[in-house]
Amino acid sequence: MADPIVSLRKIRKTFPGVQALSDVSFDIARGELHAICGENGAGKSTLMKILSGVIGDYDGELHVAGNRVQFQGTRDAESASISIIHQELNLVEQLSVAANIFLGRELRNSMGLRSDGAMERAAKKLLEDLETDIDPRALAGGLRVGDQQLVEIAKALSLNSQILIMDEPTSALTESEVARLYRVIAKLRERGATILYISHKMDEVFQLSNRITVLRDGCFICTLETSETNANEITKWMVGREIDSLDLDGRSSPGDVLLEVKKLSMAWPGHARGYRLKDVSFHLRRGEVLGIAGLMGAGRTELMECLFGASEHPVHGQMLLDGKPYCPSHPAEACNAGIGLVTEDRKRLGIFPAMNVGQNISICSLESTLRAGLLSHKLEHDTSSSMISKLQVKTASLESAITSLSGGNQQKCIVGRWLLTHPKILLLDDPTRGVDVGAKSELYRLINRLCQDGLGVIVTSSELPELLTLSDRILVLSEGRMTAEFRREDATQEKIMHAATQ
Amino acid sequence: MTNSRTGLLTKLGIRPNELALVIAIVTIIGVTLGADTNRSYWFQWETNSIEIGRQTALLGIFALGAMMVIVSGGIDLSSGSMIAFSGTVIACSMIYLQYGPLGNYLFPLVVDAAGKSGPTDMAHAGLMVQTLVVVASIAMGLTSGFFVGTLHAWLITSIRLPPFVATLSTLVGLRSMARILCEYTTSTYQNSKKAQVNIDHPFFTWLRDSKHVYLWVLVFLVLATLTWVILSRTVLGRHIYALGGNEQAAKLSGIRTDRLKWFAYVFGAMTASLASVFYLANEGVCAPVNQGRGHELNAIAAAVVGGCSLQGGIGTVTGTILGALFLRIVIDSVSKIIKSGADIWEGLIVGIVVVLAVTFSQLQQLRGSGKRLFPGALGVCAMITLSLFAGLIAMSTRGEKQAAITMISVLAALFVYGLTEKQKTRG
Repeated sequence: MADPIVSLRKIRKTFPGVQALSDVSFDIARGELHAICGENGAGKSTLMKILSGVIGDYDGELHVAGNRVQFQGTRDAESASISIIHQELNLVEQLSVAANIFLGRELRNSMGLRSDGAMERAAKKLLEDLETDIDPRALAGGLRVGDQQLVEIAKALSLNSQILIMDEPTSALTESEVARLYRVIAKLRERGATILYISHKMDEVFQLSNRITVLRDGCFICTLETSETNANEITKWMVGREIDSLDLDGRSSPGDVLLEVKKLSMAWPGHARGYRLKDVSFHLRRGEVLGIAGLMGAGRTELMECLFGASEHPVHGQMLLDGKPYCPSHPAEACNAGIGLVTEDRKRLGIFPAMNVGQNISICSLESTLRAGLLSHKLEHDTSSSMISKLQVKTASLESAITSLSGGNQQKCIVGRWLLTHPKILLLDDPTRGVDVGAKSELYRLINRLCQDGLGVIVTSSELPELLTLSDRILVLSEGRMTAEFRREDATQEKIMHAATQ
Repeated sequence: MTNSRTGLLTKLGIRPNELALVIAIVTIIGVTLGADTNRSYWFQWETNSIEIGRQTALLGIFALGAMMVIVSGGIDLSSGSMIAFSGTVIACSMIYLQYGPLGNYLFPLVVDAAGKSGPTDMAHAGLMVQTLVVVASIAMGLTSGFFVGTLHAWLITSIRLPPFVATLSTLVGLRSMARILCEYTTSTYQNSKKAQVNIDHPFFTWLRDSKHVYLWVLVFLVLATLTWVILSRTVLGRHIYALGGNEQAAKLSGIRTDRLKWFAYVFGAMTASLASVFYLANEGVCAPVNQGRGHELNAIAAAVVGGCSLQGGIGTVTGTILGALFLRIVIDSVSKIIKSGADIWEGLIVGIVVVLAVTFSQLQQLRGSGKRLFPGALGVCAMITLSLFAGLIAMSTRGEKQAAITMISVLAALFVYGLTEKQKTRG
C-alpha cells in the first residue's frame, strides 16, 4: 500500500438525527477492485456521495492521488477523474445516447456551434471499446437497462476517469448482461482503472474483488483481502449491529390463522428479472408478529402493497382473510376488510402536512364522528385526544401542525389513525425509520401491546435486531423470492443475512 | 406578541390572510373616497353597492367552484367556456321548448286544460308555460355542467391527463361547441343562423332588474354556505382537503380519490352553469363567442387571493368570498379613479393583484432563503420590464412626458433597491 489512489481519513457526516458516517478511514490502492459491503443504512451510499461530489459538507479529509480535496459538486469529482455509475441510472431519456455521453461538455465545431456528428463519432468509438453495438443516435430512454448502464460507463470513459464507482450495477441485469459487464470490468482494469464496487451479492464480490471493506452503522469495520476471507466471515462482520435489549414478554401464544397467502406473484414488465414478487406463501395468526426481512429492492414494500390493494401492477395468487377469499383492488377495500398500512415513507405517503395533529389521526375513521350526517368537531376532538393519550404522543395540542412533531410522534399518530379503524391486521412498513432510539423502544412496546389485544401484525425493517426483537416468525425475501422462514428461537442475524444475499 | 395576536384570531375563527383582505378592502374603499373626484362612493353609494354586489355574486358563484377544484389539488381552466356553453344550452333549450316539436305538443295541452276552467286562467296558463320553459332550460344548463365535470374527471382519472391539459382542451372546445349548438338551433327553429341569441324571456329581464340584485347575492351566499358545510362539516370535505394535501397518502388511507375528483370537477362545472344563468340575465344576450371569455382566470385569481394554495389542500370559503369581493372592488375603484371603462383595466388589475397576493404570502420564505429578488442580468432586465410597464400605465393616464418621468424614477428606485440587496448579501 505504498501508493493509495484514494485515502479517507476520519470522514464524518451527520444528517439531522442520524450519524450517517463516523470517523471512517481506509485506503484504496491504485488499480484494484475494491468492494464495499454493508447492510441497508450502513453508510455506503453516503460515502459514495461524498467521493463523487454529491455531498460537499462533511468533516474529515479526503485525498485523491496524494492531493487533499473537498468536492463541491460532481464536476469537481469528475475533474479529479472520479465517476459514479448510479444504481438508478442518470440518463436524460429524451436525448440520444451520444448527447447523454457528452451532456454538459458538448463538443463544438470551429464555428462554435454544437457538433452532433463529432459527438456521435466519439460515442461510437467509446461504445465499440465496450464491445457493444448501441447506436449513438438512439434515444437513451428506448434502451434496455443493461445498455443504459453501458452508456453511463461510456460516459465515465469519455471523462478519462481513473476511478469508477459502481453502485449495485447488476441489480437490474440479465445473466448475459452480467457476463458482459464482467468483461467490461476486466477491460477497464487492464487499462489501469480503479473500481469501487458496491454490492449485496457475495458471489459477485468474491468473483471480482481484490479487497473488501465492510461498513456497519456508519463505522468502518474492516478491510480484508478477498483471498484470505470467505462469505460467512463477511456476513458476520456486516450484521454485528447491536440494540438495547428489550423485554417484550407477556404475549400469549398466537391464535387462529387470520391471513393466508398462497403463491403471490407480481410482474415487473420491462425489467430483466420480470417479477417484483414470485410465489410468496405464508400465513399470519391472531396475536402474532410476522417479520419480513430483506435488503433494499427485495420486494418488502411491494409485498405490503399487495396485501393492502395498493400495487400498481396486477397481482397473481390467492389470499384468504379469515378463511374468505380476499383480493383488494383498492386500499379502501383493504380498510373495509380490517387491514391498515403504516407506510414506509412517512413524509411522502403518510402525513397530511397541511392538516393538524387531530385531523391527521381522525382521517380514516371520520364516519364514527358523524352526528346527523355532519362531522362533529367535539366527537372528533374526543376520539383524537383519547388516541393521543393512549399512545402517549408528545404534542402541544391537537391543533398543532403535524410537521412540528418529531418523527417518532408522527409515526405514533399514523399508527393511531389506523387503530381507530379497529383493524384485524396492521401492516408496518419499516415503522422505525428516521425515529430516534427512545421512541423506537416505545413503538416496540406499543406493537407488543397491540398483539396482546389480538391484532395480527406484519412488520418489515431494515434493521435485523429490530425484527429479532419484535417478531414471532421471520420471512426472508431476496430479489422478490422467499428464501427462508425462521421461528424467533432459531433466527440469527447471520442466518437471515445469508438468506437475504442468496 | 405575534403569538397572542394570532392566538386570539384563531379563537375567533379568523385567519390572518382573511383579516388582511378585510383591511385591504376597507383601505381601498377609503382611498377611493378620497381620490375619486366625483365622490361616487359617497353620493351614489346605493347604485355602487348594487353594482359591486351584482359583480361579486357573478364572479363569486363560480369562484367557489374553482376553489373546490384547487383545494382538491387540481385546476379547472374551462369555467369561462363552461359559462358560455351552459348559457347556450339554456338559451337553445328555451328556443326548442318554445318553437320545437316537444313544446308544440306539450304546451297546447297546458293551455287547453286551463282554457276549460275559464278565461281568467288563460293568463295563468301562459305564466305556467313560461315558468316551465325557464325551469326546464336552467335544469338543462345545470345538467350540462354535470356532464362536462364528469368528462373532466374521466379524462383526469381514467385517461390520466394532467388537469391542466384536460381542462385546457375543454376551455377551447366548449366555446366552439356552444357556437355550433347556437347556430344549429337558431337555423333549425328560427329559420336564420345566428351566432348569438337575445334573451327576452320575462324571467331574465326580471332577474336583471337592479331591484332584484339581492337575489343574486342571496344565491351566492346560499351556495357559499352549502360549500362551507361540505368542506368543513362533511367527511367528503375533509377527504378533499386530504386529497389536495397529499394524494398518495390519501389513497393509502383508503380514500377513493377518483370519486372525490369526480365530485370536485362536477362541482366546479356546475357552479359555472349556475353562474351562466346570471350571465344571461346580466348581459341580456346569449353570446357563445365571448360570454365569460377569460373569466376562468378571475375565478382562479379570487381563490388564490383568498388564500388557496395552487398545490392543493389549502383554501377556505370565507377567503374565496373575500377574494372575489376584493377583486371586484379593486376593479371598480380603479375605474372610478381613472374614469375609464373598467373592462380595459380588468386584466391588468387581476394580474397585478394575483402576483402581489402570492408574493406577500411567500414574503417570509423569500426573505428567509436569502436569495436576491433581482439577481444578475435577469434582475436588471426584470427591473427594466417593470419600469416599462409602469411607464406604459402612466402614458395612458397622464401623457407621454409623465410616462418618461415615471419610467425613469421607477427604474432608479429599483436600481437602488437592487444595489442595497447586493451589498447585504455580500455582508
